[in-house]
Amino acid sequence: MDYSKQIQDIAAKLFADGKIDVFVGYRMNGFDDNQIPVVITDPKEVSTLVFTEKSVFNLSNYLKADHTRNKRAGLVVKGCDSRSLNLLLTESQVKRDRLYIIGIACEGVVDDKGQKMQNCIECIVPDAVVYDEMLGNPQGRKDYIVNADIKALAEKGLVERREYFEEIFENCIRCNACRHSCPLCYCAKCCIDQETASLYNGSNTASSAFHALMTWSLHLAGRCVDCRNCEKACPSHLPLHLLHKQNEKVIFENFQNHLAGVEEGERGAFYKYSLKDPDDFIM
Amino acid sequence: MSFSTFVTDKAGLQKMYEAIISKHETYAPVEKFGKYDYKKVSSLKECDPDSPIAETMSVKPLFFPRSSKIMKYEATSAGTSILETDQDPLTAQRVVLGVKHCDARGLQVLEAVNKWDYIDSDFLKRRENTVIFSARCDKAGTHCFCTSLDYDLENLDALDIAVVNGAEGKIYLQTRTERGETFLKEKLEKSTMYNVQSTNDESEMKKQYVAFAASFRLKMDYKDINEKMAKRFDSPAFEEASRNCVSCNTCAFICPTCHCFKISDEKIKDTGVRYKSYDSCNNVYFTLEAGGHNPRPAKYRRWRQRSMHKFVYYKERFGVNLCVGCGHCAISCPVNISIFDVVNHIASTPVGS
Amino acid sequence: MEALLVPSLAKVDRIIQETPDVRTYRLKFKDDSVTEKFSWLPGQFVEFSLLGSGECTFCISSSATRKGYFDCSIKRAGVVTADIHSDIEEGDDVGIRGPYGNYFPLDDIKGKNLLFVGGGIGLAPLRSLIQYCIDNRGDYKDFTILYGARTSADICYKEEIEEWKKNTSIKVVLTIDKPEDTWKDNVGVVPKILEEVVKPEIANTKVITCGPPIMIKYTLQSLDRLGFAPKDVITTLEMKMQCGLGKCGRCNIGSTYICKDGPVFTYEQLKALPDEF
Repeated sequence: MDYSKQIQDIAAKLFADGKIDVFVGYRMNGFDDNQIPVVITDPKEVSTLVFTEKSVFNLSNYLKADHTRNKRAGLVVKGCDSRSLNLLLTESQVKRDRLYIIGIACEGVVDDKGQKMQNCIECIVPDAVVYDEMLGNPQGRKDYIVNADIKALAEKGLVERREYFEEIFENCIRCNACRHSCPLCYCAKCCIDQETASLYNGSNTASSAFHALMTWSLHLAGRCVDCRNCEKACPSHLPLHLLHKQNEKVIFENFQNHLAGVEEGERGAFYKYSLKDPDDFIM
Repeated sequence: MSFSTFVTDKAGLQKMYEAIISKHETYAPVEKFGKYDYKKVSSLKECDPDSPIAETMSVKPLFFPRSSKIMKYEATSAGTSILETDQDPLTAQRVVLGVKHCDARGLQVLEAVNKWDYIDSDFLKRRENTVIFSARCDKAGTHCFCTSLDYDLENLDALDIAVVNGAEGKIYLQTRTERGETFLKEKLEKSTMYNVQSTNDESEMKKQYVAFAASFRLKMDYKDINEKMAKRFDSPAFEEASRNCVSCNTCAFICPTCHCFKISDEKIKDTGVRYKSYDSCNNVYFTLEAGGHNPRPAKYRRWRQRSMHKFVYYKERFGVNLCVGCGHCAISCPVNISIFDVVNHIASTPVGS
Repeated sequence: MEALLVPSLAKVDRIIQETPDVRTYRLKFKDDSVTEKFSWLPGQFVEFSLLGSGECTFCISSSATRKGYFDCSIKRAGVVTADIHSDIEEGDDVGIRGPYGNYFPLDDIKGKNLLFVGGGIGLAPLRSLIQYCIDNRGDYKDFTILYGARTSADICYKEEIEEWKKNTSIKVVLTIDKPEDTWKDNVGVVPKILEEVVKPEIANTKVITCGPPIMIKYTLQSLDRLGFAPKDVITTLEMKMQCGLGKCGRCNIGSTYICKDGPVFTYEQLKALPDEF
């Protein structure tokens, strides 16, 4: 999977035609085969753009930043990235007519060690769902897979599950990198950043970390697109996907196979409350 | 006091470590989810004193905890009372195994800020009561540049005992401080010094240092960087370089020298606890005033503060860089930003353009 | 370190409603041994805790020459100050750490004419120095206070200002931004009144000023125009602080710690700082 040349050409044309002010893509880091996201304003830098299976980070995260907000931006999105972008559009965080979206029919990306990312193995929507131009051969929707770790989680009792998560969160250092790297966490003031006394006191004590991460995951329930930006950002390598995939499974199974961000303009599962909704999964 | 050198092999070192763990409160890198963090251990099997640098957290939290309790209080309509304040628990000596050289150097750098004016006696006491055994750093990691930052491999006394690989499976132990010397000579019983012998031959260690120093991909002339950065406060390069930062704050939380903190309260009904916890200047709330004014509203300003603090401000104030070249920030950055690359880039841009 | 962050308990002796959104809290330590040790000079600040809500930085707005108590004047601005206004009543306990920071250069201003220029809640730190100077009146020459507020209702320390007016050795000039029916004093912003009404003597005069950022900006320009040297203009900075001990890094501007090297600076010193306050 290498679309570097195509992306360079498209970006160059967009700048030349005066259609964009910034372009968000990837470039090589300059010393090994890993990449760095870049926000380009100078058309001369277009030649540094690349896209390969090392283009891991979900770029829709940059649409909430100063230098792209209220600007006309071009960007590259893989299947999962396009779903979070779709949600940002639905939730009125970005304007569609200011974006030029290069969608990728994604064959999966790899981690630092060259292993295919687990979320790519489980990927249901590899092709970008919102785009102006598509690169690659669309593969269509894949089957929904419940991975072994989520199955194991479902088999645990409630107490056991809580203990399991407490053990995981023990190594949380409360840097909040998971939240900041999430493209869908855009609140101006996050509920876990209270300045007055509260349960979320910013310390990495067990109760505070547990509350903060649980609350965070619930705010992303039915919205998380499994791009795993949060796991990439976590300095303690916590398996944060367990929270999100568990939520995803419950929502998929109980809300007519709902998958976040797949349909343009579709509201998240939590916004579609109805009295007929099933509730037997609630604790 | 003169310092000593010992020679042993892997089995001898392991035996000694096991004896230390059984007799002393010992901390060492413990793996979880592929990342090593310093934790209290009860056997050598639980930990890896030679954990890979890229996957090891800083040792700083053992000296400057990620969160510490300031006090517990009760506030009711009947009145307010302070129930308990935090007493520093560290009175006995403890040992930390497998500390990377850069990380130990970080503790030394932090002493400056903890010693000026109000003295952070807890930090200093914790360091005084800790014997640090170094990791066997023998090859630089991708992001390592510790040797560029006023760092003397042969004499660095931020470590108490340097553990160095020699030829043919030999391992050298060199004491670097009185604390280390006393620990090895007096606190350890002779029987635990299995196969650990005194030596005067340091030639192999020196060879190892030369090889280690040669393995660095990154080299920096920090004096040049200090000077150039100081003149580039207004450089537009800061804005450009910070664009791809997602302000996730990880770099500050895992840095061996970042020391900014916040004070926050947790209150459940009438009882509250006040904590001191890590914070980061990359955080938009960091300088946001109650009235709404923020002196560093834009991301690049916060980002500039962090890099200038590392390479200009701290140096101006305390005479030492607030960076030890460990590369932790580059390793942990979700978007692979390397402070080495960025600082060099900014220093290379024209002044005032 | 943590021990240095534990506050001492103080009792709120009196609450004075200065303006609709400013209250002065008169505080006395509960423990006499703390009172004995607690000595401060004008310009210093304390960390004020409403336990269960949070900690905020406030200057001490009274002078140690007035014994037995100290004042903090608090404007409702953010979440914690709103809690302070709504939750604290006379007789309640609060936590106090301090005093921290430097103080007005008392030696430098000795034997000089003093010109105080304050706006709004900015009179609070000046009041500490004004009280101190009044109590040592013999050490200073001419004494002028120029104070402005948005409206007459926004004037802090109304009773005390009346006392200052009665003191024949002090010249008090008051102004409000817009005319009001019952207002007989000056109307206009502080820098304008400074240039048109006060017309201060430049030689041998020290200016001490504090107020909202916009007033400070234009007042400094006025003082420049009038011919004051930057080293003769003294102000006090407001910056988010947390520890007050030169450790937490919040108030770093360049290599300066506002909580230790400040909050009092001359205009000359301020000009040398990066523009981040």
